Amino acid sequence: MDHQLFHIFRNNPLGRETLLQSIYFCSKVGASPVIYIPKHAKFLMYFENDVVQIDLDNSYLTSPETALKHATELVEQGGMKARFLEPKHYTASTLPDIQTNFDFMCCPRSISDLSSKIGLGYIGPRVRRIVESARFPILITSPVYKKWQSIAVFFGGSTNAVNALKLGFRISRVSGLPLDVYTRVEKNSRESYEKVIKDENLEDEMGLYVNKWHFFEKGLFEDNLYEVPHDALVVLGAYGHGLIKTFVFGGKMEKIQSTISNNLLIVGPYYTSTR
Amino acid sequence: MKLTINEVAQCLHLPLSTVERWIRQGRIPIQRNGNDYIFNESALKKWAESYNLMFSLPQKVKAQQQEAILENLLPAMKRGGVYHDLKGDNVEAVLGAAVENLHVLSNSSKEKLFKKLLERENLTSTGIGKGVAIPHPHDPMSDALENPLIATCFLEKPIDFGAVDDKPVFIMFILLSQSIKIHLHLLSRLSFCVRDNSFVEFLKTSPDSAAFFSKVADFEKQLDRADNY
Amino acid sequence: MRILKSWRYPASWNIFRLDDRLLLILMAAIVGNCSGLAAVILNRSLVAMFEWLHHLRHYWWVFVLPAVGAALSSLFLDKVVKEGAGHGVPEVIYSVSRYGGLLRFRSSFSRLISSCLTIGSGGSAGPEAPVVISGASIGSNIAKFFSLNDRQRVTLVGCGAAGAISSIFNAPIAGMVFAIEVIIGEWKSVNIVPIAIASVAGTEVSRILQGNQIAFSHRLFSIDLIDIIACLGLAILTAAASILLTRMLRSIHEISGRISAPVWLRAAAGGCAVGIIGLFLPVVLGEGYHSVRIMIEGTFSQGLAIVALAALAKIVATSLTLGSGGSGGIFAPCLVIGSLVGLTYHHSLVLLWPSVSWVNEGCFALLGMAGLISGMLQAPLTGIFLIVEITGGYEVILPLIIVSAISTTLCHYIEPASYYLKDLVELGHLLRPGTDARVLSDLNVPEILERDCITVNQNMLLRDFINIVKKSHRNYFPVENEETGDFMGIIHLDDIRQYLFNPIMYDAVVLGQIMDTKVEVVHPDDDLSEVLRRMDANRLFSMPVVINNRFIGLISKATLLDQYRKELMVQTSH
Repeated sequence: MDHQLFHIFRNNPLGRETLLQSIYFCSKVGASPVIYIPKHAKFLMYFENDVVQIDLDNSYLTSPETALKHATELVEQGGMKARFLEPKHYTASTLPDIQTNFDFMCCPRSISDLSSKIGLGYIGPRVRRIVESARFPILITSPVYKKWQSIAVFFGGSTNAVNALKLGFRISRVSGLPLDVYTRVEKNSRESYEKVIKDENLEDEMGLYVNKWHFFEKGLFEDNLYEVPHDALVVLGAYGHGLIKTFVFGGKMEKIQSTISNNLLIVGPYYTSTR
Repeated sequence: MKLTINEVAQCLHLPLSTVERWIRQGRIPIQRNGNDYIFNESALKKWAESYNLMFSLPQKVKAQQQEAILENLLPAMKRGGVYHDLKGDNVEAVLGAAVENLHVLSNSSKEKLFKKLLERENLTSTGIGKGVAIPHPHDPMSDALENPLIATCFLEKPIDFGAVDDKPVFIMFILLSQSIKIHLHLLSRLSFCVRDNSFVEFLKTSPDSAAFFSKVADFEKQLDRADNY
Repeated sequence: MRILKSWRYPASWNIFRLDDRLLLILMAAIVGNCSGLAAVILNRSLVAMFEWLHHLRHYWWVFVLPAVGAALSSLFLDKVVKEGAGHGVPEVIYSVSRYGGLLRFRSSFSRLISSCLTIGSGGSAGPEAPVVISGASIGSNIAKFFSLNDRQRVTLVGCGAAGAISSIFNAPIAGMVFAIEVIIGEWKSVNIVPIAIASVAGTEVSRILQGNQIAFSHRLFSIDLIDIIACLGLAILTAAASILLTRMLRSIHEISGRISAPVWLRAAAGGCAVGIIGLFLPVVLGEGYHSVRIMIEGTFSQGLAIVALAALAKIVATSLTLGSGGSGGIFAPCLVIGSLVGLTYHHSLVLLWPSVSWVNEGCFALLGMAGLISGMLQAPLTGIFLIVEITGGYEVILPLIIVSAISTTLCHYIEPASYYLKDLVELGHLLRPGTDARVLSDLNVPEILERDCITVNQNMLLRDFINIVKKSHRNYFPVENEETGDFMGIIHLDDIRQYLFNPIMYDAVVLGQIMDTKVEVVHPDDDLSEVLRRMDANRLFSMPVVINNRFIGLISKATLLDQYRKELMVQTSH
């Protein structure tokens, strides 16, 4: 089946890095990129329970006449056929609707702000809302194009984390790249995490796909993160445990995204792994 | 009985994506909470009735699937047995002798079978040419048998069967099946074998059961290969 | 933890699971209160702004005020909230018909502020449409907060709109009828009850905070038959006025769109023009309820010429305000224009037949209002109920119905779509529930895709193909390229039936020779109505679905229509 990755193209060197990353991701995961070259500065995405207005910053609209050419070149260099999205429905004459039935979406860390804010630690509010509502995982790219050679899944034991783990298995299977699992053991013991795996009947997959399950038991979490290889694709769930779980991103997640500069594949609460 | 959402979709004869869409739009009385689906089965049935939608339980689907497995020639032939040197000078005599040999049937069934075989012969001859005949009852005998059987009867001497090519018949395959579908299936496989002249020559040598079955097994393998191209 | 978590998912509570009517009523009350409150806030702010700016009225530069207001409002919408002016009620209807009523949260307050700026400074617009949008957005976001499904959310959007209109006019029935007639588009009891509750809630909020007054009270009218006959003429006149207003709004919007100045400058220019008109005819400024009151009481003592001129001027002013980017609705201007038109008619009747004792001019003002609202919105019931409720004048019901009905019909002849629906209909985006377009828009290609086709490759012999035919359940066989897997064409059994029984051809024919390569394909993102049109045009009953040059399945008309019927049954009955 054809899996699609939605990519909004920025026609400048920064955008080129992001597109190269998307193309690499697609080639490893067996998806094909669908590129949107924006003609208006805003668009709406109607999800199941939310409508998110994405306000693009102006760099997304630069030199539209060369945008098509540049994007096609990059995609064809990656060995794939370029497909472009033309919005069919408009909520208003300058407000197109973009469909949400993709399998992946690629975002930079911020869609509405220019490069000055894409440093570590910042994930823009629009991107957060997309993660909150989307049924697909979001790929947040590192600033520079880097080919990832392994997969690192952060497993915290929550339902979100289990979905992330299943996604990790799938990617490892399709791409053939090694998979490592990282868990920060805090108040609970190692066994409680293993119990979650057993309850979800994932022991076989764990044995099949996982290279090594790392447990961080001491030291600061930020220091532990050094163990994650610099060229790994980090897969993690956006939310954790707790009452306020659907309002803010999980604590671990925030720490991770502000410490490492790898490519992140974030799984939101609506992600269904039934594909 | 707790159904999964996939089973619900099957019961409604709809693709899963349609059911999920209806859940999101609120058109079907099912609530969704992440990956959990909350619904009440009898409420669902009532809802389906009120909207004229089909809601049939999946067991029926399974039962239909079981029927699809049809048997091949070899087991039926082994069940029916191979008989040599059947005595008789005319159609009636050989048919009677053949039926006598079928010990798996009760006496009354044998009588019925004999009558039916004769009826069928009187309709048109079952001699399909090259010296082969395939007597069978016109209606399947579903009450007498559980499994289909083919009785292979080599005649002592070839007799006139009124066959299509007017050649005398030296071998009879009596086909007994519970349904027309099985009958046609076995008949088609058998005719595939008979089409091959080398097979007919082989039969003329009046082989014993082991050699005969192994030859039939070879032909069946060929058939299967062609089917699964 | 469980309990605390599940309070946000009331739809999954046991008592609501089987029948969510109680849940909707509860939600409707909440939504009605909130949207009613929003309407009251807007009303109060308008009154406050009006009073605050009143003392400036005698300065010479007062005509700049509407310009400043319009500019500020469009700047606010564009830069601060980033919403874009002008698209209001049509956006609500679009979202209801296509996305189950999902509206952005910023719409709940942005329009309130921007229309306050536009109207308070003198722009010729009404506060109703912004309040409808705010109410609808409040309803939608409350539904989102409680994770309700599409159908429930649409009902709550309707409740929000109803609560808002009921509150601002102190007219619960008008609110209900407007929400159902215009926003939702279908009269189902599952919608009507919550909307009624919301209307009541909104009205009650308004009464508590602003007191229970009828907006436009009047003396009793005594209507004779002659007046009823005269109404026919009035209906025609109001229809003409509605069409003039619609056309003028359109053209100014287009002119303004072609001028390449920043948005706020265009709005300012429009406002300036309105200000200048307002210097001479102050009746055109603002929402105009005060003037309407005077006209209905029959104390608007101007002659025929002035009144007719005022009507035209108000039409121009409204078009300028709204067409150039100001933020507001057309309800209130319709009321003013309607009264002016009614007065014009009355004066001309008196002029032509001075001997007949026509009913008081206030009555014609009232009827004019109804005619104009019904003509512009093409919602006769809303017009009738609104006028009856805001004037308390039940005795005029007979001529009221006549004027509303005839005005609507005449307008419909010339402008088939109402002001709100015009944009949507032109783009083909209006999907009313239970219509063919709506049902088709819900189905999509991946849902009806059939994947049980056996594929063959172009180098296969006919002999082997026959074995495939034995096993298949279909008449279509897609041909894929042996090496690349690309889709090459289709073999239809009808085309090769004559060769199937000719054994000599079995080894002589390769599939590449008999396949059909000029075949119409469908892409999974294609619109089903388009696909059906192509099927009808080419007399096909199946079409292959190809993506990225790969064959993924077949769609057949039979399955499509089967699904269509199921969809139709689920969407309409009950």
